[in-house]
Amino acid sequence: MTRPSVLVPIRVLEGESLPEGVPDLLADAHVVLLGYHVVPGQTAPGQARMQFEEKALARLEEFETVLSNAGATVEHRLVFTHDAQQTIDRQIAENDCLAALVPRALGALEDVLVAVRGTVGIDRLARVVGGLFSDRDIDVTLYHVTSDDETDADVDVLLDGLADRLADEDVDPDRIKTRIDRDVKPVDAIAELAEAYDCVVMGESDTTLATFVFGMPADQVADKFLGPVLVVQREPSDE
Amino acid sequence: MLCRFRSLWFCCAGFAVGSFGAVVIHVGIVFMHAGESHAMDDREVDVSAAGENIEGQQPEPEPESVTEETTTHDEGVELERTIGLVGGLAIGIGTMIGAGIFVFPGLAANEAGPAAALSFAIGGVIALLVALPASELATAMPRSGGGYYFISRSLGTAGGAIVGLGLWLGLVFAAAFYLVGLGHYVVAVFAEIGVTLSLGPAPPHVVLGLIAGAALTALSVAGTERTAALQNVIVVVLLIILTGVLTYGVLDALGLFGRQTVPDTFFSKGYFPVLSTAALVFTSYLGFAQVATVAGEIKRPSRNLPLAMVGSVVIVTVFYAVTILVATSTFGADRLGEFGETAMVNVGRDLLGLPGAVLILVAGLLATFSSANASILSASRSIYALSRDALLPKKASEINLQYGTPHVALAMAGGPILVLVATDSVEILAEVASFLHLVMYALICVALLVLRRRDPSWYDPDFRMPGAPVLPAIGAVASVALIAFMNPASIVIGVVIMVLSYGWYRYYADDVRLKGDI
Repeated sequence: MTRPSVLVPIRVLEGESLPEGVPDLLADAHVVLLGYHVVPGQTAPGQARMQFEEKALARLEEFETVLSNAGATVEHRLVFTHDAQQTIDRQIAENDCLAALVPRALGALEDVLVAVRGTVGIDRLARVVGGLFSDRDIDVTLYHVTSDDETDADVDVLLDGLADRLADEDVDPDRIKTRIDRDVKPVDAIAELAEAYDCVVMGESDTTLATFVFGMPADQVADKFLGPVLVVQREPSDE
Repeated sequence: MLCRFRSLWFCCAGFAVGSFGAVVIHVGIVFMHAGESHAMDDREVDVSAAGENIEGQQPEPEPESVTEETTTHDEGVELERTIGLVGGLAIGIGTMIGAGIFVFPGLAANEAGPAAALSFAIGGVIALLVALPASELATAMPRSGGGYYFISRSLGTAGGAIVGLGLWLGLVFAAAFYLVGLGHYVVAVFAEIGVTLSLGPAPPHVVLGLIAGAALTALSVAGTERTAALQNVIVVVLLIILTGVLTYGVLDALGLFGRQTVPDTFFSKGYFPVLSTAALVFTSYLGFAQVATVAGEIKRPSRNLPLAMVGSVVIVTVFYAVTILVATSTFGADRLGEFGETAMVNVGRDLLGLPGAVLILVAGLLATFSSANASILSASRSIYALSRDALLPKKASEINLQYGTPHVALAMAGGPILVLVATDSVEILAEVASFLHLVMYALICVALLVLRRRDPSWYDPDFRMPGAPVLPAIGAVASVALIAFMNPASIVIGVVIMVLSYGWYRYYADDVRLKGDI
């Protein structure tokens, strides 16, 4: 099975380090370890490189060793930038990352909450969950918030389909659970439920006006839930 | 869309794989996925710098490659390009428009009469003749440092040092000039509300210029808010105000509002002053080169660099010419000349009453502020480029750990600026700034001619200027010729700075070799 590639962005020079538990979480991943450093507009990125490259690379290599000791394959990038989001987006695109991690500490990894939005992007979601959590002692809960225009039957088809798919990817069917809620705000519901889990997997949302104003649902969840969030990326659009 | 593997480079993993086996470490296999909409040009930067300076510091190694989105060094280290076309245009226009519209019209009309419009046009043509080769060189070498980088890599370290140190000091002179202009505008604002300032023994505009200069330098060191975004907003606001006032002025000059305009002989002061005024007002065209000083940070450089440089020159030239025409037709050149640095405020008042004066005052403050700000930042970038190449101590580009800003370089810009503001010699400041830039411009044209002739394999610009070798040759000659029309004092100061720069190079970095293989 191919390892899902996961971007792990770390603000490497601001004391941000590889959080506890992340190496175990990503043991079966191909990790693109992105160390980045944001410089203000008055400073040329190259200027920061002259001064900080050595220190930053040393730290990245430390993290890289920890990740690979846990079982991951790792490649690293170190980017000096004025714009962190642009850098993260470009790395995801260039390295064809299936998911990006919001790096936070977690304890022993026992259960994962997978927020399923709909059929769009479900293949990539399955590849991430299957790739990372198959053949491991980890419970996977598929969670869906039913919207007004969906019937219960629709939702059953959606979640059962995903469960079958994960079983094909060697996730133990006994460990797959499903949970469905109705009449709740998805972001709040996911964040609230997540408290009981060690990690959240969810999709990036389409950019709509609401996401411009309130931020991406994944970001909102990440703001409320204090553990790690794996954000499954949209299919790169072919032009 | 072809799925092209770009920049497929491997380098030695300089670290142990470890004894745990089963670990694959890829280092820096960069590829673009299919679907990237623009052509990615990934060229090797095949110029190797060597040698060391008197302190034993060596030039930083050149990057592995340059792509549309990054500058890539080895070990998977990348520098993100984050300035788009709008940002590039804002740097160019924002640097230039402060001087040409808000400081020079009165001074220029005083010297050349209505033909001052022609002086601005001559300046615009020369600027365009240099912006084209500069664009070509920038797309071949999109690295920070701009003109300094092209010249050091194509003509050698000596020329590079003269131009690089000259660029730093030229920007210092330019910034001092803008700050004196800013001081005049603040004084005019107070005059408008009926307050006559008296600030100690020095003229009030000088004191205000000094305060503004010190504040800007401090802001650059300690400011963490997004100055680039602010600069874009300022430029947009400026262009809107100017377009409004000038449109009204043009309609007015055409007699649409039933008013007599002031008739004037075009060459009222003769022909020679047209050229000497062109030399004076050339400071209004220095900004496009500042786009090149941040070439290493421009996204899609092959497209955005030429557009930003040529585009900003064309846009400001049009604005300048229209401004002078409107200003001279409103008052006549003689009266305009009497108003001095803030002549445009009177033009605004004459056209639109008090609101017009207020609009121009606001615009003048914004414009001179943004010009000074952009020049200080560019000067700091030039110092970085020089220190990267060991022509200045590495210490000069050191970054402040608290603010993340280059405090030494900013102080090396801000300090001399304050000294120069105190001299209060607007014309000398402007001319020396132009002198130092014109030397660089002439050498940019020469560099283009040399590279086109030798055609080294690494020289592969995406943008090739039309009309070579004739146009760059004219550009070089015209740049030098313009210097001849300056005040002798400005020429002497400019030459002294060049000689000192060369002397510094021989003393400090005689052994540093930057020239590419041509």
